[in-house]
Amino acid sequence: MSVAARLLALLVTAYRWLISPLLGVNCRYCPSCSEYAIEALRAHGAVRGGWLAVRRLGRCHPWGGHGYDPVPPAAAERGRS
Amino acid sequence: MSEQRNLILAIVLSVGIILAFQYFYEAPRMRERQAEAERSAATQVVPGSEAPAGQIPGAGGAPVPGQPMTREQALAQSPRVRIDNGTVHGSIALKGGRFDDVTLAHYHETVDPGSPEIVLLSPPGSPNPYFAEFGWVAGDASIAVPGADTLWQAEGERLTAKDPVTLRWDNGQGLSFAKRVELDPDYMFTVKQSVTNNSDKPVTLYPYGLVSRWGTPHTLGYYILHEGPIGVFDGSLQEYKYSAVAKEGQVQFDSTGGWMGITDKYWLASLVPQQDLALKGGFRHVAEGDRYQADYRGAPVTVAPGQTVELTNRLFAGAKVVTLLDQYAKSLNIPLFDRAVDFGWFYFLTKPIFYLLHWLHAVVGNYGVAILILTLLVKAAFFPLADRSYRAMAKMKALQPEMQKLRERYGDDKVRMNQELMNLYKREKVNPVSGCLPIFIQIPVFFSLYKVLFVTIEMRHAPFFGWIKDLSAPDPTSIFNLFGLLPFTPPHMLMIGVWPLIMGFTMWLQQKLNPQPPDPTQAKVMQFLPVMFTFLFATFPAGLVIYWSWNNALSIAQQWAIMKRMGVKAT
Repeated sequence: MSVAARLLALLVTAYRWLISPLLGVNCRYCPSCSEYAIEALRAHGAVRGGWLAVRRLGRCHPWGGHGYDPVPPAAAERGRS
Repeated sequence: MSEQRNLILAIVLSVGIILAFQYFYEAPRMRERQAEAERSAATQVVPGSEAPAGQIPGAGGAPVPGQPMTREQALAQSPRVRIDNGTVHGSIALKGGRFDDVTLAHYHETVDPGSPEIVLLSPPGSPNPYFAEFGWVAGDASIAVPGADTLWQAEGERLTAKDPVTLRWDNGQGLSFAKRVELDPDYMFTVKQSVTNNSDKPVTLYPYGLVSRWGTPHTLGYYILHEGPIGVFDGSLQEYKYSAVAKEGQVQFDSTGGWMGITDKYWLASLVPQQDLALKGGFRHVAEGDRYQADYRGAPVTVAPGQTVELTNRLFAGAKVVTLLDQYAKSLNIPLFDRAVDFGWFYFLTKPIFYLLHWLHAVVGNYGVAILILTLLVKAAFFPLADRSYRAMAKMKALQPEMQKLRERYGDDKVRMNQELMNLYKREKVNPVSGCLPIFIQIPVFFSLYKVLFVTIEMRHAPFFGWIKDLSAPDPTSIFNLFGLLPFTPPHMLMIGVWPLIMGFTMWLQQKLNPQPPDPTQAKVMQFLPVMFTFLFATFPAGLVIYWSWNNALSIAQQWAIMKRMGVKAT
């Protein structure tokens, strides 16, 4: 992972440890948004991974979808670019 | 082994957060300030523009070597005119024409109304000098202007809300200076400074004002509260920490009108120049004597022979009562004056919440009860959202044993496990919970509530029931001396009072009602949280701890009722 991606992942981890337990489990999706964010950062780097995580958060509302929603694999992207 | 790993992770995490903060927040700010410093350095060539920097008063009033003076002795160094409007007590020093003695009649140091009044301003020579003045800087050094040692003549015995006082001084070269000081029933001094030119030559003068504070005050050091130099320049709020000003040496802004001063958590001393005055204002720090200063220097004023020029400046020296600040902002047209209270980024939420709380307080008469009612109202507003998510949570909780089984069976295959989990949800008809959005909506609201309780002066020395005599101070009891039964005072760290314990208990109870987080490390951290929070909250204002406990209790009651209705066992 790049430095930026690592930093972002750290922030997400900090959220998971310190803030998330206070809020309770509210996940519509599997994996949870924070798990998704960390996986996305690992697989796609800071920019695209961050963007994927933001989009996932955007889907996570009472009228959004739910269920199994994994991070798209990195291979597909490499093939494209 | 796992503990070691946790510790290392925690350290790495903290460092990461600090680095991120530096990178994303401090670095751009520092670059900005550097650019600002360069810009102001470039304009330094204008004659007299370094003033009033070179004019920092009290150069003659520096602490006497050897024997430091008491505040009383320092006050006695100058003849004085008394100030008393029932709200502000003190005096104006005729030597220097300074406001260097202000105490607040309605605010005392401790809960005991017989304790000394809060001392806001003190003269040079006293242990903590803090004072304000208005004056003139001459463009031409040969013109005598009033300075720190100038002895002014007073017209008027006493400054009250009804009786103004006028200070006069003649420079012997045909210029007569005057300051007409008025005081309202609260904390606003109006200072009309004027110059009459009786000589035969026009004179150019720069008006200035300054608030000077010697020695770095002890701050609470909380991230969510600004203490230190503060001001509004051309409609933009500037807040600098003491350490930031000390590092920069000087920060300057161009502005028309505005205000600038130094703020504590509850108190403020601020200059309010005439609002149409074009000025250069800002904050500076002088290492010698560790002096902080908020000041402005206005555009030059040329006084023709026979002419008089007058400027209307104000000085706010008092308690940051929000309603009062709002009133001043409106009636005196002072931009963003209410921002002297640190309402933070969520101003649009914190301000209305404050007014709601203020109104509740007026109705019920006890600030603690007002907090309880306000929390209830906020909870009620979020009731539908919370109801939905608690329902879903109750169902999930009921399914936990089965989830555990799935985890044991498919623990290694994450994809498969997730799919099985979703199948389980479908089979058991678990509706998806509301997701992240409702939480994101609630966070700012609760943060705002918290912030309001933290910053507003209304909570100061406001009692609750029983042993809580001051909602803004930590719970004074401690479990380690059995709440006062044992005759000793535990160290600060161990002052764990009754309310923090109640808070910790409610938090623990609430966790029991929620499903466990799927990640075992996270689950472990979570078990530890109530203990951590009990220690953390023990140092916080009691009002906050009461709010938090009550908020938890309400959540628990709501959740409990839902679980009972749905037939889910609570533990």
